[in-house]
Amino acid sequence: MDVTVNRFLKIVLSIMFLLAIGWVVVELSSILIIFIIGALLAYILDPITSFLEYKGLSRTSATAVIFLCLALLLFIFIYFIVPPIIDQIKVIQYNLGSGKSAETINRIEQFIRNNLPMLKDVNLDLQNKLNTAVNHFSNSIFSLVGSVISIITTLVIIPFVVFFLLKDGRALIKSMVSIIPNRYFEITLNLIYKTDKQIGGYLRGQFFDALIIGFLSVVALWVLNVPYFLLIGAFAGLANMVPYIGPLTGAVIAILVVTITNGAVNQMLMVAGAFALIQLLDNVLVQPIVVARSVQMHPLLVIFAVIVGGQFFGVIGMFLAVPAAAILKVFVLEIYYLYKKVNFA
Amino acid sequence: MHEDSLWTNIFRLKSGEKEDILTVLKRIPLFQDLTRKELRQLERILHQRTYKKDEVIFSEGEPGVGMYIIESGQVRITLGNEQKVLAVLSKGDFFGEMALLLEAPRTASAIASKPSRLYGFFQPDLFSILETYPRTGNKILLRLSQMIAERLRHSNLENRELRNKLNSLLKKED
Repeated sequence: MDVTVNRFLKIVLSIMFLLAIGWVVVELSSILIIFIIGALLAYILDPITSFLEYKGLSRTSATAVIFLCLALLLFIFIYFIVPPIIDQIKVIQYNLGSGKSAETINRIEQFIRNNLPMLKDVNLDLQNKLNTAVNHFSNSIFSLVGSVISIITTLVIIPFVVFFLLKDGRALIKSMVSIIPNRYFEITLNLIYKTDKQIGGYLRGQFFDALIIGFLSVVALWVLNVPYFLLIGAFAGLANMVPYIGPLTGAVIAILVVTITNGAVNQMLMVAGAFALIQLLDNVLVQPIVVARSVQMHPLLVIFAVIVGGQFFGVIGMFLAVPAAAILKVFVLEIYYLYKKVNFA
Repeated sequence: MHEDSLWTNIFRLKSGEKEDILTVLKRIPLFQDLTRKELRQLERILHQRTYKKDEVIFSEGEPGVGMYIIESGQVRITLGNEQKVLAVLSKGDFFGEMALLLEAPRTASAIASKPSRLYGFFQPDLFSILETYPRTGNKILLRLSQMIAERLRHSNLENRELRNKLNSLLKKED
C-alpha cells in the first residue's frame, strides 16, 4: 500500500515539476528564443572555428577572428543594406496609399470580374484587403524584432551568446555531460554525437542554402528591375528555410509587389520564371551539394511542424520548427534503436 | 608537521595534480608518443568520471562508444551472469579500446572493485581530435592500430597452437 502511495506521490511530483518547467519556458520564451538563435548561430559557425584551430590558432583567437569578420559583415549590412531596405518598406507603404497602385488594382478587379462571371456581383475590395495585408506584414516585421525585446538588447545579447558558446561551447557540453549519472553517461554521449552528426549537416546546409537563395533572388530581382529587390530577395532567402511554404511565399510577394507598382504582366511572368528557375537550381544543384545528409522527414510531418511552430512562436517558430522536429526525430529514433539493441542483443 | 601557509608553496599541490594526470596519460601505451602539448590537448577532451565501489562502468551487451583509463582505483572485467573475473586492472591500465573503432556491443562487463577515478576517451572525441589536431589524432590512431595488430598476431599464434594441439589430439584418438 505504502509503495503505491509513494509511487503515486512521485508521479504527481514529477508531473508538477514538468508543468513548472513548461510554465517557465513559456514565460521566458522571448528571451529563450534569443538564446536559441545564438546557440544555432554558434553551432553553424563551429566548424569554421575548428578549421581555424586546425590551422594553428587557439580556440579563443579563432573565435575572435570569426567575430571580427562577422562584425565587418554586420557593419556592411547596417551601413549599406539596412537603410535601403527601410526606404523600400516606406515606399511600399506610401505607394499603397497613392492612386497609382489603386488604379492597377482596379484593373485587376475588372479583369477578374470579366473572366470569372460567378464573382461579378461580389464586392472584391482588393484594394483594402491588400492594404491591410501589407500593413500587417510590414508591421509584423517590425513588431517581430521589436516585441522580442528591444532591437538593441537583441543585437547585444545574440553576439554575446554566440561568442561564448563558440569559445566555450565544448567545455560547456563536457561539464553538462559530467553531471549525468554514470549509468546513462555513455548512452547520452552516444546520443549527442549521433544527433550532432545528423542535425549539423542539415542546419549548416539550410543556412548556407538560404544565403545562396537570398543572393540569387536579390540578383534576379535587380536584373528584372523589380522595385524593393533587396527586401524581397532577402525575405525569399530567409523564407526558403521554411520548407514548401517559404519558397512559394517569396515568389508570391515578389509578384504582388510588381502588381502593386506597375502591374506589367510580362514583368510578373519574368519574376515568376526567375523564382521557378532559382527553385530549380536550388533543387538540382545547391540542395544536393550544400544540404548534405539531410534528415529524411515526411512532407506532412514538415508542414505539421511548421504550423505548430508558427502557432506557438510566430514567424521565428516557423523557422525553428523543422530543425527542432529533426532533432526530436533523431533523438526518438536513436533511443528506440538503443532500446532494441540492449533488449535483443 | 603543520605547514605554514604563508611560506609553503600553496600552488604546488595544484600543479602537482595536473602533472599527475599528464604522467598517467603518458604511461598509457596509446598516448606514449604524444608530446606534453599534445597530451594537454587530449586532456581537454577526456571525460573524468568517479565510480563508487561495485558500481558498473559498462555492462556486457550494451553498445560501447569508447575506452576508459584508470587514474586511481581498481576495476575488474567480468564475463557472463556468473561474473567470471577475466582481469583486474589498476592505476594506469586501460580497457574497452576496441570500442573506439568498432561500434559493437561490449563483450564483457567492467565493474569498479574500489572507489575509482577514470578517464573516458570516446569515439566522437577521437574524431574531433583527428579534425582539429590531425597530428595528435594520427599518432593515437597509429598506436591504436599497432596495438590491435599486435593483439591479432598474438591471437593468431594462440590459434595456431590450439589447432596443432587439437590435431595431435585427433591423431591420438585415431
